[in-house]
Amino acid sequence: MGFLVTTLIFVAVGIIASLCVTICCNRGPSTNLLHLTLIISATVCCWMMWAIVYLAQMKPLIVPILNEGE
Amino acid sequence: MAEIGGGGCCPPMDLMRSEPMQLVQVIVPMESAHLTVSYLGDLGLVQFKDLNSEKSPFQRTYAAQIKRCGEMARKLRFFKDQMSKAGVSPKEFLGKDVDIDLDDVEVKLGELEAELSEINANNDKLQRSYNELMEYKLVLEKAGEFFASAHRSATAQQSETESQQVVGEDALEAPLLQEEKSVDPTKQVKLGFLTGLVPREKSMVFERILFRATRGNIFIRQSVIEESVVDPNSGEKAEKNVFVVFYSGERAKSKILKICEAFGANRYPFSEELSKQAQMMTEVTGRLAELKTTISAGLDHRKILLETIGDKFEQWNLKVRKEKAIYHTLNMLSLDVTKKCLVGEGWSPVFAATEIQKALQRAAVDSNSQVGSIFQVLRTKEMPPTFFRTNKFTTAFQEIVDAYGVAKYQEANPTVFTIVTFPFLFAVMFGDWGHGICLLLATMYLVLNERKLSNQKLGDIMEMAFGGRYVILMMSLFSIYTGLIYNEFFSVPFPLFAPSAYECRDASCSEATTIGLIKTRDTYPFGVDPVWHGTRSELPFLNSLKMKMSILLGVAQMNLGIIMSFCNAKFFKSAVNIWFQFVPQMIFLNCLFGYLSALIIIKWCTGSQADLYHVMIYMFLSPMEDLGENQLFPHQKTVQLTFLFLALISVPWMLLPKPFILKKQHEARHQGQSYAQLEETDESLQVETNGGAHGHEEFEFSEIFVHQLIHTIEFVLGAVSNTASYLRLWALSLAHSELSSVFYEKVLLMALSFNNILILIVGLLVFIFATVGVLLVMETLSAFLHALRLHWVEYQNKFYEGDGYKFDPFTFTLLGNEDE
Repeated sequence: MGFLVTTLIFVAVGIIASLCVTICCNRGPSTNLLHLTLIISATVCCWMMWAIVYLAQMKPLIVPILNEGE
Repeated sequence: MAEIGGGGCCPPMDLMRSEPMQLVQVIVPMESAHLTVSYLGDLGLVQFKDLNSEKSPFQRTYAAQIKRCGEMARKLRFFKDQMSKAGVSPKEFLGKDVDIDLDDVEVKLGELEAELSEINANNDKLQRSYNELMEYKLVLEKAGEFFASAHRSATAQQSETESQQVVGEDALEAPLLQEEKSVDPTKQVKLGFLTGLVPREKSMVFERILFRATRGNIFIRQSVIEESVVDPNSGEKAEKNVFVVFYSGERAKSKILKICEAFGANRYPFSEELSKQAQMMTEVTGRLAELKTTISAGLDHRKILLETIGDKFEQWNLKVRKEKAIYHTLNMLSLDVTKKCLVGEGWSPVFAATEIQKALQRAAVDSNSQVGSIFQVLRTKEMPPTFFRTNKFTTAFQEIVDAYGVAKYQEANPTVFTIVTFPFLFAVMFGDWGHGICLLLATMYLVLNERKLSNQKLGDIMEMAFGGRYVILMMSLFSIYTGLIYNEFFSVPFPLFAPSAYECRDASCSEATTIGLIKTRDTYPFGVDPVWHGTRSELPFLNSLKMKMSILLGVAQMNLGIIMSFCNAKFFKSAVNIWFQFVPQMIFLNCLFGYLSALIIIKWCTGSQADLYHVMIYMFLSPMEDLGENQLFPHQKTVQLTFLFLALISVPWMLLPKPFILKKQHEARHQGQSYAQLEETDESLQVETNGGAHGHEEFEFSEIFVHQLIHTIEFVLGAVSNTASYLRLWALSLAHSELSSVFYEKVLLMALSFNNILILIVGLLVFIFATVGVLLVMETLSAFLHALRLHWVEYQNKFYEGDGYKFDPFTFTLLGNEDE
């Protein structure tokens, strides 16, 4: 369930960021759409990276084997 | 105006497509032409077309004015040269544009040039006299020495001969006679002599030639001058020798004179008598002092003149440049002699129409003209220039995209997504939050001081770094994020978010180094588990992770590219492109590489041990075979067969129908119907007001077919190669983390292990220099380049045509930065 929770956190952060940008730099609908697109892309990119790394570690096939002398 | 299909798939977005442009025609009366062009230049929103392109530069209307401006520019360059030689720098002109008349400036410049040239000529003359006198002084000194020593040896000789001959002659008279003859003991012939200076490197040759020319009948003495002398002719310092040549006879004299001239040896008069020598010396010294004061007064006068020029220099420079630009532009307008007006055509954005009209009105009023200017919009089929309105943040990204190719008019602009994906892909290859913070600090300096730095003249490299400061800022922010995900701070991991998920199998940790730890707690919530760093199985794990991540990110970006091509097709209302290009492309890419991405995710979610290489390869080689232990989900074989079939049919789907449909459309259009209601509408919607006048659109079926064939092959093969190309994300990220790890362990930790403060400091310095030089500079450039390549090639070749031209308006704002 950690996956879903964190995904929801990403979505929430994205929405809050969009709202902030829309409120404080409101420069017309087309500019707002551009800002929204940028924020959504950034959120999606960041989420994808996190999700990939998280999923890869959920059910690992390789385990860490320590070096001697650690 | 090129008509476009509006709307598309989403509401209009800034920067997504070029601003709508229109071809405008401006008719101005002659008297307000100059002012009109000046105001339009201030506005900076019109790109004039050259209507006189067949005419040579000399045939154009305002050629004489341009010549005038050229003359003035030459004079200004001359002044600048003189000022820099004298060390005077022109005063910075940041003030408002004071209204100065060009004719006044011309007159002033002419006067100043004449004055300055005169002063320079005088100075040169004085300097030359000064140098000559200096040389003369040296000659007087050195030659005086010769004669003095010659006299001494002569008197010594004379007293010797005297003592020998004291018996046979009158003692009183003998010394006088002998003295007279001491100058020339053997002959009664009068000797002449010449003194002067000869350059040192030519002195031996000089002597030899003199000797040979006069058949050895000369006597020459040379004396070296220690300091270098300024040569009056060349004005440069040279090493010289003083020479004295004794000769007899007129012929010898003329020969010697000619040889002196040939060697550039300056001659100076010298008299034998001591008193006269002393007199000349004092005279020369006096004149030297006088000349020195005169020369310094002259130089001061020149400096004052140059400073007065320097005050007004920038102002004049700007004015002359501006006028030259205005006349160049006026030359582009075509002259209508009968109506006494100029007609100009140009491209301008649609939103600027009101501003242009206002500027025209203002110009008409200001120039007191009887008639106002006319402004009208022309309809044309030419492709307009592309214009994006960018602010200081988006300019750098737009320039990055433009470097590859300027967008065609109104096609989708890759910059919109590049603003996010470019720094993101950079960060995937750079991921280290320690290095990211260093990069952030460096770029924050540039951003916070941008007002001050933008007015300075920076070096080439700093100029580029300053121009890209917002790009680097984004790159550093994303790098901090990916650094946190990779869990690397100068290659050191930290359990920032939760303790590590792995633990020893039993309390004694006996098998930690053989079989390894096991995962007991929940997955590490944010990023790579910190336990991995330094373990023996770190690389197999990270390599697998990063390679799969590269594939997933690559497939995502390529899908984005294909979707952009869908947006373009929707915008230009081309159903052919949607059904026979976009759809098969999506199917092909996603049935193969989308499926691979899905398999990766399923394998991660289920923890299966299936071998994905095996699955993908045998999907093609023996699709009917049973999957056995490589099965990841039920009915996988059926799904694979379906996908394979779909991918196979999508290839002829994107190759064959489109050329035939285009041919049918072309034929339908040529039937004479302007608006043939076909199922598939025109490829590029151009409303034809004149029905059959598109003769330039010739339809060569074979060309279209070959074009489509190339496009299909490029896409199909490119799907494999581009996906593999994204693996560079893995490669560079591995290189970065390994380098960082090596510097940390082998430099810093080793320095720490010695317990010696000196070695520690040295180690720390080496670590800092290596980090900055290799990781922060070289790796940044490397990752920048590869992220750029991924955008230019793998992302943009899915949708970008990039064969437009940039909107280049007539504006005065760039004049200040020109270096002529």
